Amino acid sequence: MRSLIVAIALVAALLGRSDGAQAFDESKYPDWKGQWRRAEAGPPRYDPSKPLREQQAPLTEEYRAIYAASIADQLAGGQGNDPTYTCLAPGMPRIMNVYDPLEIVITPETTYFLIQHIHDSRRIFTDGRNFPEEVEPLFAGYSIGKWIDSDGDGRYDTLEVETRNMRGPRAFDGLGLPLHRDNQTVIKERIYAEKADPNMIINEITTIDNALTRPWTATKKYRRVSTEQPVWPEAACAEGNVHVEIGGQNYFLSADGFLMPARKDQAPPSLKYFDQSQR
Amino acid sequence: MLNRILISVMTLTAALLMSVGVAAAFDDAQYPNLKGQWIRERAPAGVTGQGPFDPTKSWGHAQQAPLTPEYKAKFEESLADQAEGGPGFWPGARCLPPGMPAMMTNFRPMEIIVKPETTWILIDHIHETHRRIFTDGRRWPEWVEPTFDGYSIGQWIDTDGDGRYDVLEVETRHFKGPRTFEPSGMPLHDDNKTVIKERIYLDKADPNLLHDEMTVVDSALTKPWSVDKKFRRVKEARPYWPEDICAEGQAMIHVGKETYWVAGDGHLMPVKKGQAPPDLRYFKQPPK
Repeated sequence: MRSLIVAIALVAALLGRSDGAQAFDESKYPDWKGQWRRAEAGPPRYDPSKPLREQQAPLTEEYRAIYAASIADQLAGGQGNDPTYTCLAPGMPRIMNVYDPLEIVITPETTYFLIQHIHDSRRIFTDGRNFPEEVEPLFAGYSIGKWIDSDGDGRYDTLEVETRNMRGPRAFDGLGLPLHRDNQTVIKERIYAEKADPNMIINEITTIDNALTRPWTATKKYRRVSTEQPVWPEAACAEGNVHVEIGGQNYFLSADGFLMPARKDQAPPSLKYFDQSQR
Repeated sequence: MLNRILISVMTLTAALLMSVGVAAAFDDAQYPNLKGQWIRERAPAGVTGQGPFDPTKSWGHAQQAPLTPEYKAKFEESLADQAEGGPGFWPGARCLPPGMPAMMTNFRPMEIIVKPETTWILIDHIHETHRRIFTDGRRWPEWVEPTFDGYSIGQWIDTDGDGRYDVLEVETRHFKGPRTFEPSGMPLHDDNKTVIKERIYLDKADPNLLHDEMTVVDSALTKPWSVDKKFRRVKEARPYWPEDICAEGQAMIHVGKETYWVAGDGHLMPVKKGQAPPDLRYFKQPPK
């Protein structure tokens, strides 16, 4: 009998914990450790299956005109509708274009998408919370996720995410493909590794936005780099940024430290607040 | 009969342990519980200034930084510029990352994620910092691209032998600049050969108080400079994580070595009395 008690105590000691804390069983979650990069060639874009200039976004007429104006402005030397040139955060869904390497850190309560680009990281809360009633809008939005065991093998394989509460200005890409100014965007994602290739993550992303005539779905892919100890570059957007915005106009900073026009025959900024004799 | 039960129990144990082994569960009880949101501990009475490096003293001269004469002169230059309305040497005024060691002053809430291979320190202030402290036993790489945050290697220590780690010892090297200790513009050396050693641990008497005993070795200093930074865990179980977008609403612009304000009406303004306007030599039209 004493042997039995000792054996049971051993089981309890080995499998249980006196402090009531639960070990985080990583094997219940997919192994997404390491560094991930956008799998598609070419410039970052919302729908990687189409070229950047042929996204065929289902824009409303009003927003089609805004997009056309953005492209025209960029052709003239301006920045169009792309808010990131002054180092504003790209926000969602553009973050998931993955401009710079991505790291995914999974804990039971939160999954972190860490991207060091301009300001591109996300927290996806998986602790069972609901959307808060009042939350300060964020460029990255407020993301709530749920892990799914889609094939019933006892391990999670898919992260379903819904993101709301965004602020702007935001665009889908560098051409300034616009989202609606009302910032009522809702984004749904299904993120999972390819069955045949655990080094490829798929992100089925659907954007619902008032700039669109219907929900717009794209499939993004991220490839895990094979380096065991990858280099994590530090992107400091303000470092060496040659764009400045003054009074809604963008200008260049020349290499020799002077203001320059960004477009042909652009007027200089007003100097009315400076002592006239110093001009 | 008893023996049979005993064998069954032991078999069950073995089976369960094997499954645990395969699963490679991360036993987070081996590590201190650093979850939640951490903010800078309230400064002692009488301490003034925005985020002094040594939290027990006011920023600026009161820090009594052991600066070399050359860097003491640079520091005075920064203070003089700030007194006139300029940004001094504080890189944050240009939306550049504060980097180490200033980032650990914790100007904004901090989150710490602990995994066996890496501890992440996330602070969204000016720059969205993901400081990675590698605890996977790696050695210093032969070549590292310098960064504002530096390259950090850490080691978890069980100082009291209770079978649980309680201290994270960190060494950080491979920096770039410009970096300063604090917003007063107190400079680190331009050679960026800074080495920073830290001991990060929970207070024995208060698990919601985190210490970061930090020693900075830098060529701008006559001796290593040690401080104890303290962080307080907020009570909210689901705290709000603000986004700090430096460029948003940034009223300062920098042209060459000069800084200007952009007024509410969108026009350029001097930051200092008598400041000359920017040179507009590349424009064809005269300014209005």
